[in-house]
Amino acid sequence: MKDAKSLLLLLVSLLLVLVSFVLIWTWGYRYYTGRDEYKVNAKIVLTDSSSLASRIRDSLQKVYDETINKLDARLDSSLLNSDSLKAELEMKLSEFFRLSNEIRVLLSNRSPNNNFAVAKQKLGELQTKVDDLEDKNKVVETENNTLGNILEQLNKPDKTAEKNPKPVSPGNNIAAGNGNPVYAVFNATDLRLAAINMNNDNEAETSLADQANKLVGTFTVTNNISQLSNVEMMVVVLQPDGRVLKNSEWDSGSFNTPDGKKIYSYKLSFNYAKGEQKQLLFSLKADKYQKGNYTMQVYYNGILIGRVSKTLS
Amino acid sequence: MNNTFRCVSLTASLILFNFLIAPAQNTYVAKYENSGVFAGIEVGSKGVKMSLLEIDKNARQTGSFSIIKDTTINTDFISFTQSTYLSTVGALNTLYDVAVKDYKIPTGNIFTAISSGVNIQAEKENKLNWIDQLINAFRFNFNEPERKVTVIDVKEEARLSHLGIVPDSRRYNTFLIDIGSGNTKGGYFPNGNIKEFKLFQLSWGTKSVSNAAEKKMESDNSMDNYNRQLARVLSGAENTEIIYAVNESGSFPMSDNVAFSGGIAWSLATLMFPELIENSVVPVTYEEVLGFSEKLAHNYSTMSDYYLIKAMGDKSLDMNVINRETKRVKQVFDQRSLMAGTGLLLKIMRQFESINERKNFYLVKNGSVGWISAYVNQNTLK
Repeated sequence: MKDAKSLLLLLVSLLLVLVSFVLIWTWGYRYYTGRDEYKVNAKIVLTDSSSLASRIRDSLQKVYDETINKLDARLDSSLLNSDSLKAELEMKLSEFFRLSNEIRVLLSNRSPNNNFAVAKQKLGELQTKVDDLEDKNKVVETENNTLGNILEQLNKPDKTAEKNPKPVSPGNNIAAGNGNPVYAVFNATDLRLAAINMNNDNEAETSLADQANKLVGTFTVTNNISQLSNVEMMVVVLQPDGRVLKNSEWDSGSFNTPDGKKIYSYKLSFNYAKGEQKQLLFSLKADKYQKGNYTMQVYYNGILIGRVSKTLS
Repeated sequence: MNNTFRCVSLTASLILFNFLIAPAQNTYVAKYENSGVFAGIEVGSKGVKMSLLEIDKNARQTGSFSIIKDTTINTDFISFTQSTYLSTVGALNTLYDVAVKDYKIPTGNIFTAISSGVNIQAEKENKLNWIDQLINAFRFNFNEPERKVTVIDVKEEARLSHLGIVPDSRRYNTFLIDIGSGNTKGGYFPNGNIKEFKLFQLSWGTKSVSNAAEKKMESDNSMDNYNRQLARVLSGAENTEIIYAVNESGSFPMSDNVAFSGGIAWSLATLMFPELIENSVVPVTYEEVLGFSEKLAHNYSTMSDYYLIKAMGDKSLDMNVINRETKRVKQVFDQRSLMAGTGLLLKIMRQFESINERKNFYLVKNGSVGWISAYVNQNTLK
């Protein structure tokens, strides 16, 4: 009996040991397989992070492009709106002046036959037009503010652009300086460079280097963005040998461009009213003129805004 | 006495022969088709200077002259000692000899003068007889008792500087200011003729400002302390003298251009605009000088020829000339003198800065030959 009890106890303890082994094995297995899962997951996470990064970059690029497009579209639409508003405003103003003229004529004619009822009607119309103009003025002011905000946003420094600077081509009117990008707000047109022969008081254009007494350059600048005071335009006239033609050392100097410092032949300073077509003129005198190609370059804010050539034979 | 002079002259000639010929900065090639070559020999405070000039026959209209040679022999005449006197006489004789024999300039085309600085100092120290003695010794040495050696006064020197530096086209709208080492002088023509000249003077110059700042430093010899003391000296100079002198000159409404000459103007033009190394005049703005002043105080290492050349866009420029001139500037002015001169220049420029009207500022490099060239020019046209 005693042996049977002992045997039972032995069997129970063996069973407990077995169960505990099973439990330990199960825990160990789960722990081991659990680590594998972590490793596999970690790999997946790594793969995901690169693709996620590129996805984020792409989406950022998309957002950036969309924002720029949206801003461009808003700017375009605002410019269009401002143009259409301008046309509408001009129409309203012409109506306003027509009506006021008619009323003036009616009032000046003080004959008894005069129909003052017509005048009264016209005055009513005039008042309506004035109210319309006031409304339009408000709309124009709102549009101006919108345009100003858009331009402000466009002029804000672009961090992406700063990190990845792109080479500036002379034709794109934008130069990345040390800080914010600089915009050449001016356009140069009607560029002309002519060699002049002076005979007593007579001046005649010539294409012969031997007969040339001076070079005269003209061009027109326009800017529809802002009114500026003390604008400085630099003119560089390159001789056939590549050297800068100088009038006098008092007239020439140097200026900064994205490609480094350049020497100018002449500096033109002026005040500018927005939208004005400003015609500029300069002349350069040299002891002798070489035969060959002369190039006139016009710079504003260090950016090339116009170029023209002239050949002297 | 005569033998002593001849001996001194001969020795000095031998020494100077190499000095004059070796650098050969300017080749003797005529620049103008219709011109003459002249020499001006000036006895100045620091030394004797000879300028060989090629003057265009149309100089009156164009203001054009070309400097063929510009040589100085340091003699320190205003010390008024026997040795400095002898070396001054020797230098004067030697330069005259070089002009006649080496450059074959007719004696009639050589002009000699004593600068105002020498005359002022001689008057102060009651040594005017030293000037007379110097002139007599020079005349005697070349057996030219009738030779004219003019003693120039300060107003005439400033007037001649204007005539020599500023072209006729800018004659009546340019205020010329010469910042020297011990003082500043200049002026302009207020009434549309070259006889009436309004003189402008300050008792401050590059060296005197620097000396005053150093005097205030006491035991702390650091650059920071120098900068602080310099600001105090300049502020004092501005409040007590510069503002009043500029106002009193009445030049603000009369001038479109303000041109600065003197050593500091030459230094700044060379260091700030190495790309314009060939120009004798360079335009500059107040902001540019202010930026340069900051660089001098806090980033002086970028003033080296290496950095200056590296920063230039135009690689076709003569780098050797730029290199040489930059080194010359560094030999003449140390960092502190440059800071002092630039500070003084800024204080004067500031008087011409206004919201409504901005003047055109210029730095003149060849100011040192300005008055003597005008003197020569004036005398050749008589």
